[in-house]
Amino acid sequence: MFAEFVHSLSCKRGQILGWGIGLVLYGLMMVSLFDSMTAIVGIQDMLASYPKEMMAFFGDVMEFTTPKGYLSIYYFSYMTVIVGVFTASLGAGLLVSDEEKGILDLVLAHPVSRTALFWGRVLALIVATLVILLLGWLSWVIPAGSTGMNLTWIEFLRPFAPLFAELMLFGTLALLLSLLLPSARVAGMLSGGLLVANWLLMGLSNLNKGLKAIVEFTPLYYYQGGDAVDGLNWGWLAGLLGVTLVFTLLAWWRFQRRDIRVGGEGGWNLPSLARRSRRSAAASPEA
Amino acid sequence: MTEQTAIAIQGLYKSYGRVQALRGVDLEIRRGEIFGFLGPNGAGKTTTIRCLLDLIRPNDGSIRVLGINPQGDPVAVRKRTGYLPGELNMEDNLKVEGQLRYYIHLRGNQVDWGFVRQLAQRLDLDLTMPIRNLSKGNKQKVGVVQALMHRPELLLLDEPTAGLDPLMQHEVYRLLTEAQGDGATVFFSSHIISEVEALAERVAIIRSGVIVEEAEPSQLVTMAMRRVWVRFKKPVDPTPLSTVEGITLLPQSNGIRVHLQVGGDMDGLIKALAAFPVSDFEIERPSLEEVFLAYYEAGDGKEND
Repeated sequence: MFAEFVHSLSCKRGQILGWGIGLVLYGLMMVSLFDSMTAIVGIQDMLASYPKEMMAFFGDVMEFTTPKGYLSIYYFSYMTVIVGVFTASLGAGLLVSDEEKGILDLVLAHPVSRTALFWGRVLALIVATLVILLLGWLSWVIPAGSTGMNLTWIEFLRPFAPLFAELMLFGTLALLLSLLLPSARVAGMLSGGLLVANWLLMGLSNLNKGLKAIVEFTPLYYYQGGDAVDGLNWGWLAGLLGVTLVFTLLAWWRFQRRDIRVGGEGGWNLPSLARRSRRSAAASPEA
Repeated sequence: MTEQTAIAIQGLYKSYGRVQALRGVDLEIRRGEIFGFLGPNGAGKTTTIRCLLDLIRPNDGSIRVLGINPQGDPVAVRKRTGYLPGELNMEDNLKVEGQLRYYIHLRGNQVDWGFVRQLAQRLDLDLTMPIRNLSKGNKQKVGVVQALMHRPELLLLDEPTAGLDPLMQHEVYRLLTEAQGDGATVFFSSHIISEVEALAERVAIIRSGVIVEEAEPSQLVTMAMRRVWVRFKKPVDPTPLSTVEGITLLPQSNGIRVHLQVGGDMDGLIKALAAFPVSDFEIERPSLEEVFLAYYEAGDGKEND
């Protein structure tokens, strides 16, 4: 498992570095702008004048001048979607991307069990996400001392916990879907799409109270975002991690039982689509 | 299944959706032999080999590899086996050495790196080259090295010389023969008849997921239809020869020279020829390729993937 973990993490170093640098630059920019942004006279009035449909996605904008509000609005309100793209694509390709390339066939011909391979790679996904979030956290906590963001390192750290849980939930959902659907790309798109849809639904539920009953059944409802600066909702956090664990166990169960596919064996198309394409090929005059 | 059996397969069935890839494969391979698995693309060679390593799960049947059920303990099987897939793909962003060291890590670092270097040298493989820059043939060499590097008891090779030039093909044959000399069993699939004829001690022919023949290459040739030229001292009417069971008169015949196809043994023909003034007699020995084609022509010509 350790060999697979190290190898998997090493293969992802480019992605980790790219996303990590992006988050660091964004964090540094936002910290450095805190003092000047909050000092703008009348900015709260200006924000209040924005269409409420637009502001519904960013939480309570009137708290924007406080460090907690600033963090919520400019970072944690949409970081789930942004970094979620990374974890969803990573999760979807964790095993199936190598399978589609035909690499997994030879890897599993060596004395490594499917369980060891699976958990080695899941551990790599967890560590990759943690490293990116760690870089994101450092980009806030290190320069914050020289600005008016008077939060302690632990206050900066707390909101990263629900963010991590949310990212892992969608990452492992993508992993599970990749083992059920015909390709990693479809799984990545579907889980990324669900994440974005959930985010939009959360924003819309701030406008339409009728949607509240629906969003209660979605993961982002239990995402604290910047509110976690004041303290973690352990029940929500445990719930998100619990669902993540369920997705991971289901994916592991599925990976144990399925064939390792290679090109040419069939099974890459959805059965109905395959039948349709065969029918249309048979009907075409060239066929 | 005895101590001397390396691979025992009984009633193996495997389907991919509606496509039945294996339809009851039975096969027994002895320890220490080189066994050729012959068949065209899509006949079920790769599927059979991948079942042996638990990469795919059969729908029915039983498998024992070195006495172990691969579905029960795949790691134990893989530890003692070297595998070369038919479709060889590796990490493009690694160098050859990095790729091989990764496989060695997966093997718990139980590989002598000196032996890896020796294999690479014999195959003229540059360990410093990035995988993405390698030609098909050079990638195949990496595949051969990783299959042999831990001196496995059993080699499962799916078209081992695909993409290699003739010189390297012969080097691979030598490596396999040496591995056999060290006690390894070699089970390899191929659709190159000359390769099977040169290397294998026994051969199985698979067609549409069923083993249609299993024998030594020379036996297969003997069992096949043979063509016989008979020259007579004077013109004769050869029609009585065609009434003998297993004998067909071929169109190139004339009164002096007769061309016959003979199925089974030659006894009937020789006895029938006793009544003729025979001047010369020549048997055309079919190649394994002809035997192979005969098996396929006998089928419906439709193969599954």
